[in-house]
Amino acid sequence: MECFSLLRSDVPALIDHVGAYGEVVAPHGKGDVSYSFEVVRDSNDVVLDYNRTLLPLKKLFLPPVEKLMDFSLKNKSFDPVEVAIKPKVYFGVHSYEMQSILRLDHSMLSGSAESNYFKRRQESRFIGISFTPDEFHFSESVGILIEEMEGFDLFLNEVDGDFQVYVLTDHGQELLQGFTKMKATQPEIVEERKFKKKIRYHYNRLPRVFQYAYHSDVWADVAERCVGCGACTLTCPTCFCFDVQDEVTVAAEDGMRQRSWDSCMLTTFAEVAGGENFREKAINRTRHRLYRKFKYITDEEGLPWCVGCGRCTAFCPAGISLPDIVNDLIQEDEKAQYHRSVRV
Amino acid sequence: MKRIQDVQSHEAEDLYYPTMCTVKNAKQITEMEKWYELEMPAGESLGHGPGQFVEVSAFGIGEAPISVSSSPSENGTFELCIRQVGTLTNVLKNYEQGDTIGIRGPFGKGYPMEKLFGKDILIVAGGIGLVPLRSLINYVLDNRTEFGRLIILYGAKTPAELLFKEELDEWEARDDVELHVTVDQGDENWTGNTGVITTLIPGLDLKLNTTVAAITGPPVMYKFVVMSLKSKQLPDDQIYLSLERRMKCGVGKCGHCQINGVYCCQEGPVFNYVDIKPLEEAL
Repeated sequence: MECFSLLRSDVPALIDHVGAYGEVVAPHGKGDVSYSFEVVRDSNDVVLDYNRTLLPLKKLFLPPVEKLMDFSLKNKSFDPVEVAIKPKVYFGVHSYEMQSILRLDHSMLSGSAESNYFKRRQESRFIGISFTPDEFHFSESVGILIEEMEGFDLFLNEVDGDFQVYVLTDHGQELLQGFTKMKATQPEIVEERKFKKKIRYHYNRLPRVFQYAYHSDVWADVAERCVGCGACTLTCPTCFCFDVQDEVTVAAEDGMRQRSWDSCMLTTFAEVAGGENFREKAINRTRHRLYRKFKYITDEEGLPWCVGCGRCTAFCPAGISLPDIVNDLIQEDEKAQYHRSVRV
Repeated sequence: MKRIQDVQSHEAEDLYYPTMCTVKNAKQITEMEKWYELEMPAGESLGHGPGQFVEVSAFGIGEAPISVSSSPSENGTFELCIRQVGTLTNVLKNYEQGDTIGIRGPFGKGYPMEKLFGKDILIVAGGIGLVPLRSLINYVLDNRTEFGRLIILYGAKTPAELLFKEELDEWEARDDVELHVTVDQGDENWTGNTGVITTLIPGLDLKLNTTVAAITGPPVMYKFVVMSLKSKQLPDDQIYLSLERRMKCGVGKCGHCQINGVYCCQEGPVFNYVDIKPLEEAL
């Protein structure tokens, strides 16, 4: 693995350079406090220090609203929508975000592999960047370090204000071909970036905690505060549930079928025709969301399906914190174990 | 973990495009239910197993998961029976012979027939639950010598809501079918059993080691039927249930049909009772 030093002032030049491969998508400031992954028009607009974007990178692989087909009501026929494979570079991606894409890959490609997702993922290159954890990041607790480089082609680690560029794949090598503003250097370890938010247990102990947490009082407490808006799942980088709806034009002759992000936190998510709702109470839904992140897929794949980005907590209008819920469950579990052990 | 490098481009499928099928026959069989016989575009067979479902699609309205009601042994066409209970199904009400309906599927796991051969089959159908079970019943009848007894328990709210009346008469007339029908509330012409479906179970004489039960009905029914069968000492692994959920995509992606961590559209809709017993959201 090669490592080069790169001045902060030369980063826009690097962005321009990799733009030769394809469209570059990178974080941009939005308003005063928010960030968003956008197509780069001017490489000087790209933000290198950001905490998190409002919407995760999944929006580009699994669009919030996606047309699946056009149809004609008159002829009762449809025209497929072709997704074009386009080379793209995703620049300035944090490690937890990359890990979320790897998890989405599993969700969308295992079982029946979905072609729309697959095509969007083709020819994509990822350039990572380190970040300074704020009060919401807790990815270390779910096994993802700031410098986790899996999935990236290149990775920019900030050292004393400038960057060390790691070349991780042949694709990364190709992206750098002909770029002359870097010098070979020795990799340095950065120690001062620490996570402020933590889950108290190592993540491999969490499935056991969840195994006994199904009837915990914690869920009622969370459900009481939850307003059921679905912001946590919409901003979650590993949530992928969707709804499919038909839209008809005013003339009622043709229309389109489209899918849009859906949320298991919304009241009608598990409702069927006739009115039966299989997750009727808020307590069922709040529990389901966390079990999706720490138990169900985790039991099969051995990894938490939460990447610790902190979005669901940072953007929750009711101030519900996912790591705090998990810590509450851990505390309850410890109490229960203590009572079991002292019972004579 | 499935990685993108593991997927070859030919494996990635267009999962959401329907196949346009032609309505060959359609008939409103009760006040609420309509029966359809559908033909695939090139007359090919659907290739389903008993208990599987399809996504039925009407452009401008959407899609809904519907059980296949015919036996796989009928070639060329397949049958659906749809209760008019939601937006899509109320539109499908107007579909007649010659109309086209979009179909995706068949999806899910049906009955594991290899485990059912040689067994006594006990059908427990509540209301519209007879629709998917009819696929199994007719499969057993088409291969009658491969199975032991065929016991059918069928309950409906009123005599007017009984489905497939002609077939019920045929089954009643056969010596190799034991049919027991009950209604919650009879009318002046009703001479049969009244009461909920579980009232039919205590009187059954079952051979416990060879009987396999297949249950489909409204969500509220399952617990009580399972309790009655267990009080007859029927082992858990000889009970199969077909569960209703909102199977929107049918391909294990959209998330609506999850029962705890299990995708009903992938692992079900037909489950062995042993497999769903630990799932708190199942029954």
